[in-house]
Amino acid sequence: MSDTNVKETAEKKSSPKDIKVNTVEPKGMGVKKKRIVGAIVKNTVLAILAVIWLIPILWLFVSAFNVDPGINYAHFFPSKGWTFNNFIQLFHANSAVMYVRWFLNTLLIAFFSCIISTVFVLMVSYAFSCCRFEGRKGLMSLSMVINMFPGVLSMIAIYFIMKTIGLTESHVGMVVVYSAGSGLGYLIVKGFMDTIPASMREAAKMEGASELTVFLKVILPLCKPIVVYQIISSFLVPWGDFVFAKLMLGHDVKNFTIAIGLYGMLSKENLPRYFSQFCAGGILISIPISILFIIMQKYYVEGVTSGSTKG
Amino acid sequence: MGKTGVKEAARVKEPKKRKLLSESAFIRYFRDIGTAVSKGDAAVKLSMIIMGAGYVARKQVIKGILVTLVEALYILLLVVWAIPNLSKFSTLGTVQLQMVFDPATGKNVVNDYDNSFLILIFSIVALVLLAVFVLYYIHNLKAVYKIQLRAEQGRHINTFKEDLKSMVGDKFHITLLTLPSLGVILMNVLPLFVLVAIAFTNYDQQHMPPNALLDWVGFDNFKTLFSRGGLTVSFGYAFGKIVSWTFLWAFLATFTCFIGGILLAQLINSQGVKFKKMWRTLFIVTIAVPQFVTLLLVRNFFREDGIVNTLAANSGLIDFLKNIGLVKSSMNAIPFLSGRSVGWAKFMIVMINIWVGVPYQMLIATGVLMNAPQDQVESARIDGANKWQIFWKITMPYILVVQGPALITDFVRNINNFNVIYLLTQDLYTTQDMAMANSNAKEVDLLVTWLFRLTNEYYNYKMASVIGIIVFLICVAFTLVSYARMMRGGREEDYQL
Repeated sequence: MSDTNVKETAEKKSSPKDIKVNTVEPKGMGVKKKRIVGAIVKNTVLAILAVIWLIPILWLFVSAFNVDPGINYAHFFPSKGWTFNNFIQLFHANSAVMYVRWFLNTLLIAFFSCIISTVFVLMVSYAFSCCRFEGRKGLMSLSMVINMFPGVLSMIAIYFIMKTIGLTESHVGMVVVYSAGSGLGYLIVKGFMDTIPASMREAAKMEGASELTVFLKVILPLCKPIVVYQIISSFLVPWGDFVFAKLMLGHDVKNFTIAIGLYGMLSKENLPRYFSQFCAGGILISIPISILFIIMQKYYVEGVTSGSTKG
Repeated sequence: MGKTGVKEAARVKEPKKRKLLSESAFIRYFRDIGTAVSKGDAAVKLSMIIMGAGYVARKQVIKGILVTLVEALYILLLVVWAIPNLSKFSTLGTVQLQMVFDPATGKNVVNDYDNSFLILIFSIVALVLLAVFVLYYIHNLKAVYKIQLRAEQGRHINTFKEDLKSMVGDKFHITLLTLPSLGVILMNVLPLFVLVAIAFTNYDQQHMPPNALLDWVGFDNFKTLFSRGGLTVSFGYAFGKIVSWTFLWAFLATFTCFIGGILLAQLINSQGVKFKKMWRTLFIVTIAVPQFVTLLLVRNFFREDGIVNTLAANSGLIDFLKNIGLVKSSMNAIPFLSGRSVGWAKFMIVMINIWVGVPYQMLIATGVLMNAPQDQVESARIDGANKWQIFWKITMPYILVVQGPALITDFVRNINNFNVIYLLTQDLYTTQDMAMANSNAKEVDLLVTWLFRLTNEYYNYKMASVIGIIVFLICVAFTLVSYARMMRGGREEDYQL
């Protein structure tokens, strides 16, 4: 793994100096033993934590294979037997469960709002971090203040505004709701851009690059890890949000996103009939997200370590 | 070296100068308008009526035409749409919706009524547009005058092509910020204004447009919120309780997840831990399942008749908890989220939030830790600092500088953490406190979930708006104080050098 490599080289670099000072270099068996004990303790703690974190996920998995469609109150593992049927049922659309349709709806909304949000956030971050213009600080503080106003509070107002424009009960409207105000979430990306030395931009400009070229060719490649973070987080929004979706998409089951669709499956009337299918559905949406995550994580680690050449 | 010296010197002088500068910038803004009007030539003066004239006079024909078109479009909008709405803004409409007999068709039809809510929204949109236009108008006047000065001094005046080119050069920030700003105005600024306006009206279940007209009521709704007692609804009581829990929750949720994430990242990164990637992936698996799925799942996991209680009963855990007094002896199950014990519910919510939030923070902290400047750590190690000292004196300050803004955002996001609270408690938690129930509130409610219930279930828009404004003010105050402290002395450039 590349991050351990970096650490090893860092240690190698430091070792000649250590010999001169001769304070922290491990000596003899005592230190070695201590290290082994430490490693055992650390790995055990991690194992315990991992178990705690995975128990609900495990429950999700085993419940998805439960023959009993309702929730199992007495046993952790299915008691009446295992089946794959819950997954198959999801693909047979009925009036209450239109899983495939919901999935595609959400995918579409997530795709477009993710692109728009990421572009907006990057644009705003670059402007605030790397451009110097009159009123920059004022504008930053202003957007901080506006960002403090939570969307949930103004959702009724947003609903009425969208209705006036005619974008309720439409997926375009959902994309607008999720991405239009995303420029305000610049803080994290800007914080990352702030750590990139200004000299890199200046060097590029000396060679005649325009701001646009600097943004696209110099800064963006260095920001890869944080861009990835931004993409993940904005892609996840439509999958997790149900408040706006519920409010905006009306009562037509066809239009639902996965979130409100699955939420409806756990209502009081549906819980005994659809709990196992809910679990199966929950696992299925996790699949594209986890695949994305694995790809992203690779970029994340790589990006961050390549970013170490910045300094 | 020389450069940093100069920068240092500038930084020392800055604090005294700053206030003066900002004042003079404010005054200068208006003085420049005066100068442009008084010293501008005929073309500039003509620009006060036909905005593009000043450009056309200096051979910037395309720009001139474009600017004039914008002006014409705006005036058209003003006359056709904005003025009719704004004229009704002070009364919010006077004609109630009625069915009137239409002699021509012989049927009852809806009269030409005033929709108070549309008047409200449209007026606000019109006012925002008006403000934008005034700013643009002033900017345009100054720009035209500047071009006149350039022409007089015989300096180069940009062609349209060069103007376009500067949009990716020294005016790049305008190109970058335009679209995001429009989005923010649509999604954040307008709703905010609409909400502030509603707080001063009587918009509730008895007054629902278009069937009823709205009226301005001044500060009446604010008085209702802060009043104690009252015959049926005591908002003041519920408000106090919910505010204190909101803050406690926001603090606990932010703090535990932040520290937990860093510790977990450090633990996985530390020497002697094998299979780092596997551990990381195991925790990230929990993020892969969408938050609302896990929350709905966990809430069923901890039901009073749920699986955890069954297992706890079978293993004797409930009896043990009864013995040490954590569960009342009258109960036959642990009241995790049911509302029979407020303490348990609050504890569970915080714990579940840790479960949900720590993997995210771990992921972020891992990235930040890898980026930490290694040379400082090295020199500290050479000087004989131990791991704890390095962590607290070098790594933590670095994390705080990089993560500081995110931490504030997290705190504010937790004040408004709708999902966790709503999904864990809606339809499950029932309050035992009649006074809370009278105000449609629960002990575990945050201000936002209370507000949501008021709007979504009780259509009490006026009170919800008042609460919204108060939440907003709290968040703004908190953010500005901490943000100003963090940004003082231009620390954002410390790591850019």
